[in-house]
Amino acid sequence: MRMSEGVPRGRIAELYHPEMFQEHEEVIVFTRDEFNRVYTSMRDQIDYINKTDLHLDRNEEWKLIGYWPKIIEKVHILDANMDSIFKKEPLQCYLDAYLYNTVRDTQREFVESENKVSVKL
Amino acid sequence: MLMRYSYGIMDRRKILLYNSQLFLKGNDLLVFPSKDFHKWYGDIKEYIDGLYQINSVNMKKLKPMDISELNLAVAVLLNITEELENLFDSKMRSDFSYKYISALNEKYKKRSSGYSSDMRRCDIQIPIKPEITGKLKYQHQMEIVEEAWKLFIRVNHKKNRS
Repeated sequence: MRMSEGVPRGRIAELYHPEMFQEHEEVIVFTRDEFNRVYTSMRDQIDYINKTDLHLDRNEEWKLIGYWPKIIEKVHILDANMDSIFKKEPLQCYLDAYLYNTVRDTQREFVESENKVSVKL
Repeated sequence: MLMRYSYGIMDRRKILLYNSQLFLKGNDLLVFPSKDFHKWYGDIKEYIDGLYQINSVNMKKLKPMDISELNLAVAVLLNITEELENLFDSKMRSDFSYKYISALNEKYKKRSSGYSSDMRRCDIQIPIKPEITGKLKYQHQMEIVEEAWKLFIRVNHKKNRS
């Protein structure tokens, strides 16, 4: 999907890659931190289920009875994460997922914000 | 805790925000085309609903889960992973031929508690009635006598004080 990062300047937002969008196109704007939290949490849930799947010996099918509720638990968190994007009321699941899924420090993975650099206009 | 988001419109290579008060000066923003984003959101919702549908067989307790259903769930998850990756791939173009709006009955999303009917059955059967033998009867009588003896002493003690 076309996307860009940006910074707010009062009523307008400046983009790093304005060429991605067409003139008068409607866009949706999130804060990077919050979106990162949802995104990372979703990746974590998927990783968990994939790992469970990998470690399950296909000859020990009966173990699935125990694993399945855990898998569905993670699916619930996935769903809660998606709901948290557009829902207007605060979600308890959102808070739970927030507490139990500590987001890793991603400072180093990103390029430095435009805020810290002096902008020449 | 609410997720902050705002719609906006592109105007002369900048964005006019509808709810600009939500964002603080130091925030970094992520911007997506709203039409594409809603399509992406619907797609992921569709896959998650698919996972719930796989689980619905389990909820009705018609038959135990088997490996084929796990395989199916993992395949659906693979699609979600792909969608998550596509979100940041600027070359991917969204397919607007349809849009999914989740209409799954909420009852399929209910979280079942860990306390199963099997556990309940065990709990009910645990209290075993002891067989009353002569020895047990004697033991109980002695317990009553001891309790009475303690009470007697306590009352006597009070009388002596006053």
